[in-house]
Amino acid sequence: MVSWQTRTVELLSRLTIRQSLRRDISVTAMRERIQAMERFFPDVPGDVTIEFEPGLSHCDAEWLTPQSGPTERMVLHFPGGAFMTRFVRAERLLLARICRAANARGRLVFYRLAPEHPYPAGLEDCLEAYRQLLSGGIAPEHIVISGMSAGGCLALSVLMAARDEGMPMPAGAVLMSPAADMSDESEGGSRVVNAARDAVLSLERGDDIRKLYLDDKTELANHPYVSPVLGDFSGLPPLLFQVGSTEVLLDDSRRCAERARSAGVRAEVEVWDRMPHGWQALSFAPESGRAIGRLADFVRESCP
Amino acid sequence: MQSLRLDHAGLSRVLREIDTQVGLLARQPDQARSVLVEALDYLLHYHHTFHHPREDRLFARIRARDTELDETLRDLTHEHEAGERQTGELAAELAALSTRQLRGQRGQRLADQVNAYVRHTRLHMRNEEAVFYRRAERVLEPEDWSAIIAADDGSLDPMTDLALMAARYPRLAENLGLPVKHLGLVERTQPISDELRLQMLALTDLYGGLLHEALELARGNVDQLLAVRSPSGLVRAVGDISSNNLRFAGQCLTRPPRWAVNGGAAIVVACLRPYLKASQDTGSR
Repeated sequence: MVSWQTRTVELLSRLTIRQSLRRDISVTAMRERIQAMERFFPDVPGDVTIEFEPGLSHCDAEWLTPQSGPTERMVLHFPGGAFMTRFVRAERLLLARICRAANARGRLVFYRLAPEHPYPAGLEDCLEAYRQLLSGGIAPEHIVISGMSAGGCLALSVLMAARDEGMPMPAGAVLMSPAADMSDESEGGSRVVNAARDAVLSLERGDDIRKLYLDDKTELANHPYVSPVLGDFSGLPPLLFQVGSTEVLLDDSRRCAERARSAGVRAEVEVWDRMPHGWQALSFAPESGRAIGRLADFVRESCP
Repeated sequence: MQSLRLDHAGLSRVLREIDTQVGLLARQPDQARSVLVEALDYLLHYHHTFHHPREDRLFARIRARDTELDETLRDLTHEHEAGERQTGELAAELAALSTRQLRGQRGQRLADQVNAYVRHTRLHMRNEEAVFYRRAERVLEPEDWSAIIAADDGSLDPMTDLALMAARYPRLAENLGLPVKHLGLVERTQPISDELRLQMLALTDLYGGLLHEALELARGNVDQLLAVRSPSGLVRAVGDISSNNLRFAGQCLTRPPRWAVNGGAAIVVACLRPYLKASQDTGSR
């Protein structure tokens, strides 16, 4: 049963975010609207401290530490936002909740955004953050990479790029509705069937997003670091996908998991009935608490 | 210490499966029950029989070295005892309920109890990791560890070997290995057809779009009026607003649309019809 809190957010999203995504509004206007919406998200709980140093070369990043005794575990999180915007407060709160539930520290990377910094700037920032953790003495078996939406795409890209560069793999990755396919071939399946059902995302302007992210070099859309669903999953750590059954991005998770399994990687997909995109970040909804609990279980499983 | 951490890893995976199955209890009671019974059995026969006594031995050693945590460790030990009792009770109730009861309110109550049990177990693990695992590594001496290892029976968590799990708990192991899990599915008593649902969503989108445009328009107009600084500015602003607002949501507002003209004409004709008919009758007489 979908809770009333989630239903309310679903309706509000359908009337606001989805309407904005369907219209030809500027990136600046979109960012302003998101900033206005962010006021409704509460602050990070007082028992989680936020530090900024050491930082990254080209972007902002934060260290989150729950006071109630974190272990060696580290969750490296990449926020969502269609590669162009971000929900700073919502993502910070989401990571804080995961860290508290999993007794882990968190690293939140506000990678550079398109169109000012098109691909591969964002990916480079995320890779730098992973390298920084390793060089800072954190063992890869204590790191879990996590990502929401566009951040989920970057999380998969980081795993593939790190493997290709010969870096050690983290213990696991949690992918929340990753946007893992920027290529044209995927314009079917859930992207069509769920086009009207999805309460948050509308891919009517998907082409514009792709062009802005790739700086008009749309031929890059088939590159595995841009569309990880087309990449090679061999050698990747265990993956956990969480996605809503009515999301346009449902098939991205399913296809990634299938490819991962066929490459011998343990990959699980949790399909949540009628949950809107990014429900994990709705701290006031019971489904969010349940999803966070399950994510924390996975982190604990991956990093004993 | 590593063995205790591995136990928590295995327990976390089983808790995730319990959480999945509890959500399916009303929809597929028999199937979910068989997995839950095995999961609770695993908890009783491994965690409460081997893992918790192992932790209790560790607690005792820490208490001997560091009295600061005395109360916390006593609480954790009590939680072990209460947890074992609760696991047994839940397993017994699960077995006792009929399929029909599992679908009904008693099943819902049981599901709530199992959910609370899962939440409590997660919190218990968090507290153990946060409070005493690190402390144990800091305060215990090599001889403490030797004594703990000597007292240990060496039992391994079957979760470390899925083949072993499959032999002991076949249904649980089968479900642990499933690649896709469905969460939050419910039995809908009055299902709304997909077509109707889509029509409702399309209507929400349509009116959402209109509302969105109306708000945008109103905001733009208010901004323009607030920027007026002189009478001529007001005239200019009113002129701009009039010319910019001739169309709304793709419709021209100065000329009524065809449906409105036709509808209006039909209403006028319907209203006049009795009078026209009456005058015709009078004329024919």
